[in-house]
Amino acid sequence: MTVHLYLSLVPEALIASMLSPEEFGTYYAVGTEKKSSGQAIFFEVDPKFRSKYLRIPEGIARCVPHEDGTPKSSIYISVYRVLEHVDNSALGQLYLTTQDGRTLGLDATDVIPEMDGGLHLYKEIAPVSPLVASRLAPLDFYDLIVKNPTSLITLPAIAFAELRLDELARDPEMGEVGDLPYKNMDHLRGVLKDLITKPVATKMVDRVSPASISYRTVKNGFYVGNGQKLLYYPMPDKETLRENNYRWWRSANM
Amino acid sequence: MDKTWLYISILASVISIGVAVYLFFWVKRQDPGTEKAQEVASWIREGAQTYLKRLYLALTIVALILGFVIAIVFSFDLAEIASGQAAIQPLDGIRMAVAFIGGALCSAVAGYMGMSIAVEANVRTATAANESISKAFKVSFYAGSVMGLAMVGLAVLGMTLIYLITGSADIILGFSFGASTLALLAKAGGGIYTKTADIAADLVGKVEVGIPEDDPRNPAVVADNVGDNVGDVAGMGADIFDSYVASTVAVMLLASASATMDAKYVMLPLILCTLGIVASLIGIQFVRVGKDGKPGPALNFGTVFTTVIFAGMVVLLVLLSDINIGVLWATLTGLVAGIVIGFTSDYFTSEDRKPVYETARVSDSGAAINIITGFSYGLMSIVPSVIGIAAATLLSYNLAESSGLPGIYGIGVSAVGMLAISGMIVSADAYGPIVDNARGIAEMSGMDSQVIATTDTLDAAGNTAKAITKGFSISAAALTVLALFAAYIEVVTASGVEISLSLKEPIVVAGVFLGAMTPPLFSALTMLSVTHNAFDMIEEIRRQFRERPGILAGTEKPDYATCVDLAAQGALSSLVLPAFLAVGLPLLVGFILGPNALGGFLGGSIFTGVIFALLMANAGGLWDNAKKFIESGQFGGPGSEAHKASVVGDTVGDPFKDTAGPSLNTLITVMSLVSSLFAPLIAAFHLF
Repeated sequence: MTVHLYLSLVPEALIASMLSPEEFGTYYAVGTEKKSSGQAIFFEVDPKFRSKYLRIPEGIARCVPHEDGTPKSSIYISVYRVLEHVDNSALGQLYLTTQDGRTLGLDATDVIPEMDGGLHLYKEIAPVSPLVASRLAPLDFYDLIVKNPTSLITLPAIAFAELRLDELARDPEMGEVGDLPYKNMDHLRGVLKDLITKPVATKMVDRVSPASISYRTVKNGFYVGNGQKLLYYPMPDKETLRENNYRWWRSANM
Repeated sequence: MDKTWLYISILASVISIGVAVYLFFWVKRQDPGTEKAQEVASWIREGAQTYLKRLYLALTIVALILGFVIAIVFSFDLAEIASGQAAIQPLDGIRMAVAFIGGALCSAVAGYMGMSIAVEANVRTATAANESISKAFKVSFYAGSVMGLAMVGLAVLGMTLIYLITGSADIILGFSFGASTLALLAKAGGGIYTKTADIAADLVGKVEVGIPEDDPRNPAVVADNVGDNVGDVAGMGADIFDSYVASTVAVMLLASASATMDAKYVMLPLILCTLGIVASLIGIQFVRVGKDGKPGPALNFGTVFTTVIFAGMVVLLVLLSDINIGVLWATLTGLVAGIVIGFTSDYFTSEDRKPVYETARVSDSGAAINIITGFSYGLMSIVPSVIGIAAATLLSYNLAESSGLPGIYGIGVSAVGMLAISGMIVSADAYGPIVDNARGIAEMSGMDSQVIATTDTLDAAGNTAKAITKGFSISAAALTVLALFAAYIEVVTASGVEISLSLKEPIVVAGVFLGAMTPPLFSALTMLSVTHNAFDMIEEIRRQFRERPGILAGTEKPDYATCVDLAAQGALSSLVLPAFLAVGLPLLVGFILGPNALGGFLGGSIFTGVIFALLMANAGGLWDNAKKFIESGQFGGPGSEAHKASVVGDTVGDPFKDTAGPSLNTLITVMSLVSSLFAPLIAAFHLF
């Protein structure tokens, strides 16, 4: 049986498993003996990848079938500072698993999408998970946080998604509120207004935002970078998802 | 006017049954789809059969007991019973008991046919949806027509045969009581069943585990789909059958009790029903989805077109025969009121109207605001219907009076006019659960997303048809019970007791209060049954997920049968107390407090019954559609705070609109029929 390496973002961990990405997604979201933690977001990592910070060979060696011949579901190699130690070049598809175990695979691209102006709302996924509003486009936001920080706050790596602000992106005061995973709209409007009126590039919206993410609120895709380069995993639009990935789309819309 | 019309009625009803049978086999000849789809459909079919067996067993026991009581009571000459000189005529008792059992049997057969074809048509609709929306619509609507045409055919056949053989409208009262008894069990039982399964499946599946609706991993998903059939096909069919027969018999009784009215006016309701059958048979042929692919307008066109044909035939009947013109005015009043009330119900539950929009809009402020707003609009929705009922009552009364007919007869005729096109109305209504099931089967058997999109479109039209039917059936029931109320007074008066319903008399006021109390109490009992049974089923679903983790992982099949059985058992065992309220309470009030109090009791129950029925049906539909509106991506879409609040509102509204609300029609009809049936006995024996 093939051993796969998975880099989980929720929670951040490196895992060896004998399950295929779809099986692993279901296992990780739904569990076997008891209900697990729900939603899963993970990358498939090149099994040949090695790092001095991670005991990968040891983990792979332990990943053997159970006595009854069934595949081993998971061997945790590390649960701390994994994202920063995995080369971008080793990352394969990004898998988004819904809370009931349906998995969608996304391919990476180097081409960062053109931005249409206006404000942005970023949901950081790993290594920390706040909800942040910003004037900066994704590439600039990544630069500010990882590569060229202008404040004390910096991260060695980051995985995040941009959420749809819709009308609020251009008109924080009067724009209609769309589908957002945040209850306090007055606060959000205030934060967005500050970005326009004050000399700040980013502002925290919710510091205790849950690590999980409502997939349907994602604007165009996921971003991941650890100082080398920023990878972009575009998400298909709603119509394409409904047409080609109906079961996943339906679960994601719960 | 001789017996020719009765023979025409028999012919029309036989044709109606014949067309229903033809459509039954036409639907069965359609492609049943893939093996997987057929397997899913077979789970629903078996679940439905399990429930029907239990329901009909319970009904048989109730029918035999009540039939025996009726046979004994009606063996005495009730007109003379007070004098103690009543002659014993066992044949009269047996005739009444046979009519009672016949009524229950006809309603059961219509329900059985409707259910049987619904659980065959669901998978065929899903399969046809793969081809085109018009083909899928045709399969589902024709399957719904089986129920509609069988129902009106059997009802008219039964009533006409009884009248032809006995020449007495009184015996048809027994037939009507039989139909109502079944309707009470079928509607309340079906309502409890469907919401038990629905709520339990949603609360564990969607809220706790996070799986979408109609997901085959949910152990209650089959029970949920079975519930759509038992509640909305068998239950609603039995309900309209009951109102249809009750309105007819009430008018026949009024005419036969009147010293001034000709025998043709006793037969007239049967003639109107016959014309309604013919209009429905024609109207059904014109219900087609056009090039725009919209099923909603096709259903609405069918209803309006059938109404116009029926109205035209009544005009011809009145012009070409010596029937009083008042009949035409009363019929037209009923027809117009029925359609207007039906469509105003649609206003309060339609996604593109203010009430639903507003309820959805305020939902991001929480469940409490959603519930308060929905409930308020539900209360408001009573207004147009009540005005419609009041206007129909006054207009039909005065138009009949001014034409030389008794006013109360006009009210009864307007109810018959409303219900005469039930063949079409029930066809459109039974279409709803069939397409709902088709969607479930498409989902569970992993059909293409295009099929699911088509069944979604069909389903949305079904919800509108359902809302219209509910408004229609509640208003018709209101007018029917007004006529039955008058029939009760006639029967009591004919027994030599002068009845007084003055509110100056405390005993009448006491009766009014007791009557007004009954529909809310009945609603509470049926809704508590839902929560109690749902609690048991929730535990069962949780147990299955807990003990068999493979279910959620998709590697193990859930035990659907246990949930189906729990729902069926719970629903039927919960009916004892509500059934006692319907049959026992009027008798207790009558025998203890006397006929005046019973008159007040009926009046009170009619008023709160109609108001509660309208409130519950419309508020429930409104909450449901507010949730669907948000799910379509409005106000934050699925998973948003507004959506969570709307799910709470919808869950509250579920037993409102599908359990308690629709059963109230039957409750007030059964209470009125029991009172009329036992009125001579109550007039003779009462404590106060």
